[in-house]
Amino acid sequence: MLQALREIEGGIQLSLNVAARLPQLRRGPILESFLRQVYFTGVTAAGGVIPRACGLGVIIIAVMINMLDADVDLAVKILLLLVFREVGPLAAAIVVILRTGTAVSAEMAMMRVSGQTRALRYLGIDLYDYLVLPRVAGCMLATLALTFYVQFLAVLGGLVLSPFIIEASFWELTNRLFELFTPVDFFYSTVKSLLFGFAISACCCWHGLNPPDLTNNAVPKVVTKAVTQSMMLVLLINAVFAYVVFGILFFGLVKANA
Amino acid sequence: MTDLAVRYKRKTPRHEIQVSAPRGAVTHVHLPDDNAKAHFVTALLKARCEPGEELEIFGEPAATAAPKRREKLRMRVGAVSPIVGLMSNLNAWENIALPAAYHGAPPLPEVAQFATDVLTKLGAEPDYFFARLPDELGLLERKMASFVRLLVAAPEVMVFDALEDGLSYAECKHVARFEGEYRARQPNGTVLYVDTREDS
Repeated sequence: MLQALREIEGGIQLSLNVAARLPQLRRGPILESFLRQVYFTGVTAAGGVIPRACGLGVIIIAVMINMLDADVDLAVKILLLLVFREVGPLAAAIVVILRTGTAVSAEMAMMRVSGQTRALRYLGIDLYDYLVLPRVAGCMLATLALTFYVQFLAVLGGLVLSPFIIEASFWELTNRLFELFTPVDFFYSTVKSLLFGFAISACCCWHGLNPPDLTNNAVPKVVTKAVTQSMMLVLLINAVFAYVVFGILFFGLVKANA
Repeated sequence: MTDLAVRYKRKTPRHEIQVSAPRGAVTHVHLPDDNAKAHFVTALLKARCEPGEELEIFGEPAATAAPKRREKLRMRVGAVSPIVGLMSNLNAWENIALPAAYHGAPPLPEVAQFATDVLTKLGAEPDYFFARLPDELGLLERKMASFVRLLVAAPEVMVFDALEDGLSYAECKHVARFEGEYRARQPNGTVLYVDTREDS
């Protein structure tokens, strides 16, 4: 219980520190570290995401259309509600947790265990500025970019496949998609994916900088804990966000459009 | 720049060190064991003492110094020590340039020129040296990188912590030039060699 409270307190402190230090991103090494993080999380992950995202959209749309015996309207709603709003950001978050979350937590824990964080302090370099801020900011931006990427490819995959399952052309489905698409869908997934990126990176940074002990054995423990908690945080944010936005704001749970 | 005055006291195991040296002097400090040495160097670098320790640095008690004052005291002392290692994910050049790039001074072209000059004098091939990660460097080269990184900042007090540890006789000749290079950069700086008593 005490440990959980400590982690929550640490997470909040870390988040506030990051928010307060955003202007530090202008500094040379911090900006460089931020760009490296964006490249590592957003660009190098993108190559593997293409076939997976297309496959994801295709599988979801194929199964749902088949199961629900869907028409054009329902097929597009499935694409919008399920693939665009929910699966896109979640799939991107999972990619970020598996690729970046593990790397960030292991790297930070190694730096802590090997005394590199201590060396940074002696050089007058703030750990939040140099280690945490660029990773959190970079991860947020990269998660957002990956989310758009996954959404675009998954929806495109679904639109291309659907004509083979239901009696509707690609253009018919596309037109209906644009009719049903609202700015809320866009803002919803944007804000959600930014929050996912923030939660994942903040959680992994915190665990990386606070290993249970200063031995090499602590590194795998840190990675396991960081990945598990990141996943839990993402699911929690997803549930809370869906309820707040669609359950309270629009008084109708998961309703695509009037 | 002021004279060096350090007083460090530790309760368990009990030992006390007092160092007074005029600026520009070279002083040797011998501690009973590696643990005591690590505590002493850490306290100097942090300008802060742990429970059971007392530290006065430049005549000022570290325990009562305000954080900003302590930060200033800390920046006056630098150490080539295993305690202050290199960043494993940055190559030698990035390690050397990191403090200057972070603090915004001196300018990086100046750092590059300076580091190239010093490394050449120390017998390294700068371009090859700069491109390698710390894990690809030998112990002597890692000490060189730490030294050059510190030399850029030119601290008022340069602590050489067990400088020759783990080096061959031939390599020791290279590190023996460190003091001269520091003196060339910081003529009034104080050099503090810290070692364990067994080795003295």
